[in-house]
Amino acid sequence: MVAPAVILTASLVGYPLVRGIMMSLRGGGGATGLPTHYVGLRNYRDLISDPDTKSAALHTAFYLVIAVTLEIIGGLIVAVTLQRAFRGRGLVLAILILPWALPSVVSGVLWRRILDPDSGLLNRALLSLHIINTPHVWLASDGWAIFFISLVHVWGLVPLVSLVLLAGLQSIPDNLYGASAVDGAGALQQFRYITLPLLRPALVVALTVGTLAAVSIFDEVYVLNGTALNTRSLLMQVYNTSFNQADFSHGIALAMMVAILSATLAIIFGVMLRRATR
Amino acid sequence: MTPRYGARLARALAIVAIVAWSLGPMLVGVATSLSTQADVQHVPTRWLPAHPNVAAYRAFITGKTVPGSSSGGTASDPGDFKHALFNSVTTTVLATAVILTVSVLAGYGFSRLPFRGSRTIMWAIVAALLLPVFTIVVTLFRIMANLHLIDTQVGLVLVFAATQGPLAMWLAYNQCRELPAEPVEAALIDGCNQWQAFVKVALPQMRSGIAAMGAIFMLAVWGEFLIPLLLATTLNTKPVTVNITELVGKYATNYPVLAAAGVIALIPPAIVALLLNRQIRGVISATN
Repeated sequence: MVAPAVILTASLVGYPLVRGIMMSLRGGGGATGLPTHYVGLRNYRDLISDPDTKSAALHTAFYLVIAVTLEIIGGLIVAVTLQRAFRGRGLVLAILILPWALPSVVSGVLWRRILDPDSGLLNRALLSLHIINTPHVWLASDGWAIFFISLVHVWGLVPLVSLVLLAGLQSIPDNLYGASAVDGAGALQQFRYITLPLLRPALVVALTVGTLAAVSIFDEVYVLNGTALNTRSLLMQVYNTSFNQADFSHGIALAMMVAILSATLAIIFGVMLRRATR
Repeated sequence: MTPRYGARLARALAIVAIVAWSLGPMLVGVATSLSTQADVQHVPTRWLPAHPNVAAYRAFITGKTVPGSSSGGTASDPGDFKHALFNSVTTTVLATAVILTVSVLAGYGFSRLPFRGSRTIMWAIVAALLLPVFTIVVTLFRIMANLHLIDTQVGLVLVFAATQGPLAMWLAYNQCRELPAEPVEAALIDGCNQWQAFVKVALPQMRSGIAAMGAIFMLAVWGEFLIPLLLATTLNTKPVTVNITELVGKYATNYPVLAAAGVIALIPPAIVALLLNRQIRGVISATN
């Protein structure tokens, strides 16, 4: 019964992974089409000193910090708001998951109209409120481009993070709130001393989901700004190296480094989760 | 009573904000798709089109020329879009069917019929969850090219099944583990073999869980972008997500056309998400 899954995973995940690791240790082919030969860790060393890789790593760090911060804050607000029953809660929850259900490419297309410098609704709104005096080309500026691409990414991920946190909130027994209210605790104190500590396992799960998604951000970058250097993420750099420059060896080596990074982060969060639930 | 009232007001405002934030970009998309270029560029801003029209949709449905296509693109683009939409539907249905079949079989096998070393094999498959697709996609491209499976539906479906497989199998495994053991045991005593017990007793009990997984993987496959960008090079297999990014390249700021394409592409996943939202939320909540 397990044979189809084993064969499928072994041949289309395991085998490419091993071939990929081997390919990342070879060099000399690339766009020239000449046969490759073993070069050890040279591709990895090249990458570490490559300025484009460094800037892509820095961009990814920005995507990660901005996205995860916004997702956790937004997710907490949504979860606390929707924690208790009210009329129409089912409908709000159904609407909540829509942005997550859409292809990220489609989200990107919808947001392009909002972020357009001339006809974009964001510039129009900010101009009419006199917050800015001239239209901004958001996706061409260094900091703002990364911020808005992160925001589009966050739009798709907040539903997931919210639902994870909501499930965490609902596992906290109600009588803790009742008992603390009798002892004179206010809403803020309850949040600080009951909700946050007991929510830790759910927060770690949300953090893991958000981190892994942000480390491999690609679709939103592609649709909103292509391979432009000012917003290039690590995986966009992999894509560009492998398919625009046809340098598979370096592309794969960089992909392996990203994999090691995200596996390390996942393991760290896993340990945190085990501690948090103990 | 004032603070209580204030808290209720704050919550009502937060609920409105959540709904506006979730629906806002989609509503902007719908309004834009019904606009003309003149509406979009109009100063002062027109939040709604002056004369809503469905020209962009009509072009995509009939496969005729796109309005404003003098600004780039060809008359065949709408026909291409229709074709890509069809590709997305067939690939999504086929891949979801394969993912569910393979993962439910494996989840049941690993949880109910363990054998020597089965735990190790299962954890090896689950570990693939941590692997970003990017680490294998570059090599996969070359392997599929060698097998002449680039730009074939079979190749695409197999790759989706393999990349979504670990998550699907993990979800199926957890579901199978929570099934009560007694009905299956009773069926075995009554003379069913393992396969009959699985098909006649266990599978019907998993119906709602399988529906939830079906919804989740339909959404996942429909939204796939990177893999088809590399492996689905022509309209033989190219899905709507890849086609839309090409439209973005051609029509750049022809927002009514792009928005119409986006709205059409978001209708199927939105319907799935709304119809099965309870089941989907159930699976996500269970990750704790």
